[in-house]
Amino acid sequence: MRSAWASVCLLLAAHILWAQQPAAGPEAILQHAIALHQAGDLDGAIRGYREYLDAQPDSVEARSNLGAALARAGRYDEAIAEYDRALAKSPENPALLLNLGLAYYKTGRPAEAAARFERAASLAPQFKDQVTLLLASCYNSLGKYKQAIALLAPLEQEKSADQGFDYLYGTALIADGQDASGAAVIDRILSRGDSAEGRLLQGTLKLKAHDIDGALADLEKSIALNGRLPGAHARLGELLLSKGESDRARTAFGQELALDPDEFVSNLNMGVLAKKDQEYAEARRYFERALKARPNDPGVRYQMANVDLATGNPDQARKTLEALIGESPDFLEAHATLATVYYRLDRSADGDRERAIAQKLTDQRDAEQTGAKAR
Amino acid sequence: MRRWLAASGLCVLGGGWWLVASGEGPEPRRPHFTDIASKSNFAYRTDNSFTGRKYFPQAMCGGVAAFDFDNDGRMDLFFTNGAKLPEMEKTDPRFYNCLLRNRGDGTFEDVTAHAGLLGKDLGFSFGVAAGDYDNDGFEDLFVCNAGRNVLYHNNGDGTFTDVTERSGIGGKPKDVLSVAAAWFDYDNDGKLDLIVSNYTVWTPQTDKICGSNGREYYCHPRVYTNVAHRLYHNLGNGRFEDVTETSGFGKELGKGMGIAIADFNGDGYMDVFVANDTVRNFLFINQKNGTFKESGFEWGVAYDESGNAGSSMGADAKDYDNDGWPDIFYNNLKGQIWGLFHNEGGKYMKYASGVSRVSRLSVRSSGWSNGFVDYNNDGWKDMYSANGEIDNLGEISRQRDTMFENVDGKEFRDVSGLLGADFNHAGFQRGSAFVDLNNDGFPDLVVTSLDEKPRILLNSADNGNHWLLVNTIGRRSNRDGIGAVLKLTTGSGRTLYNHVTTSVGFMSSSDKRVHFGLGAEKAIASLEIRWPSGIVQTLKKVRADQILTVTEPGR
Repeated sequence: MRSAWASVCLLLAAHILWAQQPAAGPEAILQHAIALHQAGDLDGAIRGYREYLDAQPDSVEARSNLGAALARAGRYDEAIAEYDRALAKSPENPALLLNLGLAYYKTGRPAEAAARFERAASLAPQFKDQVTLLLASCYNSLGKYKQAIALLAPLEQEKSADQGFDYLYGTALIADGQDASGAAVIDRILSRGDSAEGRLLQGTLKLKAHDIDGALADLEKSIALNGRLPGAHARLGELLLSKGESDRARTAFGQELALDPDEFVSNLNMGVLAKKDQEYAEARRYFERALKARPNDPGVRYQMANVDLATGNPDQARKTLEALIGESPDFLEAHATLATVYYRLDRSADGDRERAIAQKLTDQRDAEQTGAKAR
Repeated sequence: MRRWLAASGLCVLGGGWWLVASGEGPEPRRPHFTDIASKSNFAYRTDNSFTGRKYFPQAMCGGVAAFDFDNDGRMDLFFTNGAKLPEMEKTDPRFYNCLLRNRGDGTFEDVTAHAGLLGKDLGFSFGVAAGDYDNDGFEDLFVCNAGRNVLYHNNGDGTFTDVTERSGIGGKPKDVLSVAAAWFDYDNDGKLDLIVSNYTVWTPQTDKICGSNGREYYCHPRVYTNVAHRLYHNLGNGRFEDVTETSGFGKELGKGMGIAIADFNGDGYMDVFVANDTVRNFLFINQKNGTFKESGFEWGVAYDESGNAGSSMGADAKDYDNDGWPDIFYNNLKGQIWGLFHNEGGKYMKYASGVSRVSRLSVRSSGWSNGFVDYNNDGWKDMYSANGEIDNLGEISRQRDTMFENVDGKEFRDVSGLLGADFNHAGFQRGSAFVDLNNDGFPDLVVTSLDEKPRILLNSADNGNHWLLVNTIGRRSNRDGIGAVLKLTTGSGRTLYNHVTTSVGFMSSSDKRVHFGLGAEKAIASLEIRWPSGIVQTLKKVRADQILTVTEPGR
C-alpha cells in the first residue's frame, strides 16, 4: 500500500518538472538533470540539480526536484533536508509539504508526516483526496484511532470498494474498540476474496476475543498471503507473547522490523522483552526507536523510566514519571513506580502520597471490571 | 542429553570424579525423580468437583503438607481436597482430606480416618500449614477452607482433635476464601503465631459466570473483591487472638496466595511476604512492636519490573546466592515473568529474573506451588515450580513441572527434561512440598495435580554429593525453631545459609528440617544457629551426611 501511495510523490515531482522552462546556461544543466531524473538516472540527476543549485540556490523548483530524486533513491533524510530548505523559501507550498510529508512517512515518522499532510490539505483542498488515506495511515500508526475514524467514516459509502480504505478503516475501528463495526468492514474485505489485510484484521479481532488458536491461524494465513504486509508480523508477535512464546515472538517482531525498522509495536515489545532480560542498553535502543514512531508516547516513556530506575538513575526516572503524571493524572503504573522511586530517593512522604494515589486508581479500575474477561 | 565433554573440565575431588557444572564444561551428574505413589494403597485424588461448570475456586485445589505427625523420624504426608459444588460439602469420600503415614519402606498407609482428619464437616479445602503451636513436641495442622478454617491439635497418639472453636483461631469474615497459611513467631515470644492469606469473598451462590463465544472460562480475579489477610497471635494455653487490625494487616486488601516467611532486613524479627493474584504483592516488615508495615513499594517487590501486578501464585524466600540475605521467588502464569528478587543487603530487593535467565526460562509456564530447593545437593538452591494452566482451554494447558538449576548463585538453567519421566508428567499441578521421605539427605518432592493422584517423587540421590539435615528444637524459641537462621561453613570455607520455615510455595507446607547440600565436601567447619530468641549457638566440626538434631541452649 505504501508503494502505491508513494507514487503520489513521483507524480507531484513530475508535475513540478513539467513546469520547468528550458533555458540556456544553468537552465540547460537543469533540463539535463530533469531528463536524467525522468530516465531513472538518479545519481546523475542529483548531481545536475546540485550543480544548478550552486548557481541558483534560491530555486524552489530545482530544490524540490532534488528532494524528489533523493527520495526516489531512498535517501530520505537528505530529501527531507532539501524539502525543508525549499519550504524555507516557499512555506505555503502545498506540493512541497505533501512531498515532505511523504518523505517523513517513508522514514517511519508519522507524526511529522501527519503535520505536513494536514497543512498541505488545508492549503490546497484539491490534495485532500490524495492526503486522506495517508493521513489516516499516520493516525493509525500514532495510535490516534479516533482521528482516523473521524477522517474515514464520512467516506465509507464513497470508498466502499476500496480495499486500502477498508483496511485502514477496519484497523482504526478495531483498535478503538468498535469491534462490531470493525467486523462489518472485515466481512466486506473478505467478500472480495481472501486477502492478507482481511486476515490480519480478523486475526486481530479474534485475539481481542481470546480466540488464540483462531487468531493464530488468521495471522499465519495473512503472512502467507503477503509476508510484507505492515503490522502482520507485529500482531503475530503480540499473540505469541500472550502464549508465552517469547522466542518466537522475538522472531516475529524481528521480521516486522526488517520490513520497517521504526515500526512502533515491535520496537516497544522488543524493548520490553530486553528490559525483562535486564538487557537495559538494548531495551533503551528499542524504546528510542519506538519514540521515533510515536514521539512522546507515554507508554514508551514509562518503560524508559523503569529502565532508568533499574540502572541506578532514580532521579531521571522521577523526572519522566512526574512529567507523565502531569500529562495523565490517572496513569496508575506511573504513580506506582513513582512511589518506589520516591522511597528509593528517601522521600517517604512523597512515596506515601503516590502509593495512596496508585491504590485509589487500582480500586477504581477494579470497580469497573465487567467480568467478561479472561486472564 | 549432551555428550560429556573433554577431560579438561574434570577434576578429582574427594576421591571421585566431579564434573564442573558451569559454562561450556561437562554436564554434572544429577539425580532424577521416580514416582512411588503407585506402590501405596490410598484413594486420595485431588478432586475439585469439575463437571463442566466453572466455579471460581476450582482452580485452587490440592494442598500438601510434609510433617512427622507420629514422631517416628519419618516424614508423613497430608493432602487437602475439594468439595462437591455447588453444595460446598464433602458429600463423598472422594472429597475427603488424606493423611498418609510413612512406613519407611517406600510405601504409605492411609490413616486419615483413624487420625480424625477426613474433614467431612469442612467445605472446599485449600492450603495447609504444619507447626507445633503448643510446643508439645507434636506437629499440628491448620487447614484453610472456603467456609470455616480448622485447627487440628495433634494428640500425640496418632489422632487429631478439632480445636478451632476453643482456640479462637477460626474467626474470619463471612464467606472469605482462605487459601494458605504459615506458622511463624512474629514477636519472638516462643509461641507460633499464624498468618492466613485470604483471597476473596465467595460462595457458590455469588459465583460469577464468565466467557465469550459460547465458551466458559474461569473469571478474571478482578471481578471479585479483595480482602485482608489475617494474623492470629498465639496467647498460649491453646488460645489465639485475631490481631489483624491492630497489627496493620487489616489495612491492606489483596488476593492472597503463597506466603513466605523470612527475616528480610536482618533485625531478628520475622517478616512476611504474601504473593497476591492480580493485586500487588505485600511485604510486611515486622516493626518489632506487634505491628507490621506493608513495604512492598519500598522494597520494590509490589509489582513486576514494569509496574504491573501479575498473577502471583506460590512464594518462597531463601538465600539463593548464599550472601546471607534471603531473596524472594514467586511464580505466576504463562506469558508473565516469574519474580526472582535479590535482597540488596537487607535494604531493598532488586529484580533479578533477567540476569539470572529466569525471565526466559519461565515465560511459557503457569506456576502454582514453588520454592527454592537444592535438589542435587551442590550447595546452591535451585528453583522448582509445579505447573499447569489455570484453565483447560489452550493446547498446552497441561504442563510439566520445572526445575531451574542454580549455576554458582548467578544464573539458572532449565534441567527439567533431565530429571526423569515422572518429574515431567504433564498435568494441572497445584500443591507441592519438599521433604526428605527416606532420610537419605536428598530432597524428595510431593506434587498434587487436579483430578489425579499425587506424585510422590523420590530423589535418586545418586550423584555422590554430601549433605546435612538439621532438625531444630527450640526451648526459649518456639519448639519447631521456625525462624532460626542457620549459617554453615564448610571445611573449605564456603558459607551456606538457610532458615527454618514450613511455609513454602502455595497451599503447602514443607519438611521443617533445614537442608544443606555440601557438594563434594564432607567436612563442616561450623554451624551457627541464630535462634528467634536471639541466642546464637555455634557447633564446630559437624559430621556431614547426617540428620542432626540441635536443641536450643538455655541462657
